[in-house]
Amino acid sequence: MNILIAIGGRDYSKPTLDLGMKVANSLEASTTIAYVGKKVSQFSEKDVSVVHQNLDERQLYRPGVRTLEWAYDFLNSKNYIQEEKNDFNDHLLVDEENSRMRVLLKGKHSNKIDLILRTGEIIEQLRSEVQTNNHDITIIGGGSNKGMHHDLVQFIDSSVLVVKNYSLKKEYKILLPVNNSIGSNNAIEIAEQFAKANKLKVEIVTVLENKPSDENLKKILEKTAKRFSKSRIKNTTRVLEGSVVETITESASDDSIIMLGVSPKNPVIKYFFGSKPISIAQKCKCPVLIAK
Amino acid sequence: MNDSYKIVSSSILYWFSQKKWFVFSVLTGIFLVLIGPPIDFLNANGEPNIAGYHSLVILLMVFILVTSQPIPFPAIALLALVLQVLLGVAPADEVASSLMNDAVLFVMGSLMFAIAIVHQGLDIRLAKIIIKIFGRNKRLFIAGLMFISAVLSSFLGEHTIIAIMLPIGLSVIRNIDSSKPDGKNAVLLTLFSIAYGTIIGSIGTPSGGARNVIMINYIREFSNVTIDYWDWMQYAYPILIIQLVMAYFVLQFVFPSSLDNIQLQGYKKSVAKSNSATNIRHIFSSIIIAIIVAGWFLFNEQFGLGIIALCGVLIFMICGMVSWEVINKNTNWGVILLFAATISLGFQINDTGAAEWLINKFNMMISNLPEDSSFSWSFMTIITGLTANFFTSSATTSLLGPMAIELEPNNVIFGMSAAIASGFSFLTVISSPTAMILYSTGLISVKLFFRIGLLMFASSIVILYLMSRFYWVML
Repeated sequence: MNILIAIGGRDYSKPTLDLGMKVANSLEASTTIAYVGKKVSQFSEKDVSVVHQNLDERQLYRPGVRTLEWAYDFLNSKNYIQEEKNDFNDHLLVDEENSRMRVLLKGKHSNKIDLILRTGEIIEQLRSEVQTNNHDITIIGGGSNKGMHHDLVQFIDSSVLVVKNYSLKKEYKILLPVNNSIGSNNAIEIAEQFAKANKLKVEIVTVLENKPSDENLKKILEKTAKRFSKSRIKNTTRVLEGSVVETITESASDDSIIMLGVSPKNPVIKYFFGSKPISIAQKCKCPVLIAK
Repeated sequence: MNDSYKIVSSSILYWFSQKKWFVFSVLTGIFLVLIGPPIDFLNANGEPNIAGYHSLVILLMVFILVTSQPIPFPAIALLALVLQVLLGVAPADEVASSLMNDAVLFVMGSLMFAIAIVHQGLDIRLAKIIIKIFGRNKRLFIAGLMFISAVLSSFLGEHTIIAIMLPIGLSVIRNIDSSKPDGKNAVLLTLFSIAYGTIIGSIGTPSGGARNVIMINYIREFSNVTIDYWDWMQYAYPILIIQLVMAYFVLQFVFPSSLDNIQLQGYKKSVAKSNSATNIRHIFSSIIIAIIVAGWFLFNEQFGLGIIALCGVLIFMICGMVSWEVINKNTNWGVILLFAATISLGFQINDTGAAEWLINKFNMMISNLPEDSSFSWSFMTIITGLTANFFTSSATTSLLGPMAIELEPNNVIFGMSAAIASGFSFLTVISSPTAMILYSTGLISVKLFFRIGLLMFASSIVILYLMSRFYWVML
């Protein structure tokens, strides 16, 4: 499994990195940490490129390398990777393709971690990264930009974890809304591995919207609960009634990590009218994983 | 649902989300072409001026596309050229002949010349000079960075100088702890001093920016007035000096810092260690640069600024100091093509009478106001300055330049003011290479650049007004 963690500034990337690495470790995935630099106007793209080459030659870090160095140090300090030597002063930038660069450390470094620098519009760059390297989950910090959440889920061909208001010190539980979609099955699988590895409780819910009962949904709920119990994961089940978006938003608390499947709706309808998972990701104030 | 249908519709939606401004500009263009020109938009024969109207429609489309950048610049340039012929603005031969002139050659030459210069690694040598002259104390050193950036940028262009000066600035601030306000202010003061120095400097001489050369060509073409290198300096250099002084105090005020964090001694030692003194390449490239600047001074009327810039590139290449591969890889050919297309469009807007019609409309709008050219000057200057901040300066000058001249064809003050105002790239990070490069370091934010830039922009307009009103009339 491949996981992509997109980081920005140091101040708000710590939670993204921490949760991202927990997910990566629980799924035993190889991880790419990507810093996407500012989009450069076409007027100045060559000028910027020349300046960056100049900075490389002068051994002055080009923008983004310092952030990746900080990320690497952070992972070391939290024991997500264990290295004898971390010498970023001895790094090598490899221009792999248009607007993608790999940071190679000449000292020992983890084979499981790739450090990537990209430049440009964030959705375009992450989409390209996922398409080229077949990442299964993209993990990104959740800013207040709701349009970006929408575009991430809409256009990135992987599961998406939006890390919002995540605290490194808090103990979390998983809120797992289930239904009969393929996305929901994938969410169940990720949730199972993540909960098992991190010893988290899981609250499995299903929502009856505009109908008094649905035997099929109840069966899925019970089946999921059995599966989790078999894996020795503490779990509870609940059947909620009402609007899917509202009930799940209300059920989620500060210490929840929501994991749910992507909407099976037509992409055109989703683009113009949104979808329930996107609305949940936008409204909830906790990390949300939308599995594809 | 069928998976292949989902993939195809998702790809189409992604294309649409990335190209929505292209779709918008095409739909706008089609709509405007279909409704036709206003009834009072007539040509010399008293018939509807279709060609002029279509040139304005293309202008609007180019404006939308360049501002939003949904397609590559070369594609925008080709679209502008193709539409000029297809919509009957001008025949193919005329469009082709208006595509290349000295201004376009200068854009090409200056971009290539800049790469050749930057490739020589002159920053260490320059750092030594700055330290020697201004290294006695830290505040003087910061002022020196700004002053040297401005002077060099006025002759060699801001994109050249920011590429040379930024490594110096980043070397000085590399060990500063920017988590504390004093350290952060020292970092910003250093970076902004270099950036403002290069931006302000670019108005100083015709070779400071392509927009200056574009305007000189327009003034020569439309007003029959020739402005040479020295004339331009007489107009612009005093403004540059006043702006520099003002920028220095604005930055000291906005970023108060003790500068204790700046390790000037350490930097002096590291610069002193470098072996640039024995580097004959630096001396030789400095001689080439001096010859080219002297050529611009002495022979600009005879040979044109573009040809002289190309001579510089030629010398560097013949002497083996830069390879064609390096120049080819780093030259922004898209920008050259775009400038060629917009300059061509600018000529057609003037030739078809579209510029004149627009100006008449503008004059009608302000006819109820007191008859004072100050109003139209202020309007034109502020619009040009603001547009340049969202559209970049050279493209603004190439498109709005003819209209600025048309306001008062016999008064070069309007054209000169438009060109200089379009160099006030203080508001947005997309407005100039300097701003974009500074932004790309990740050390400054869009908001910060705008906040400080607003003060600089407003005061620069006031300085320009006062100078054009009281100093230029004496020239």
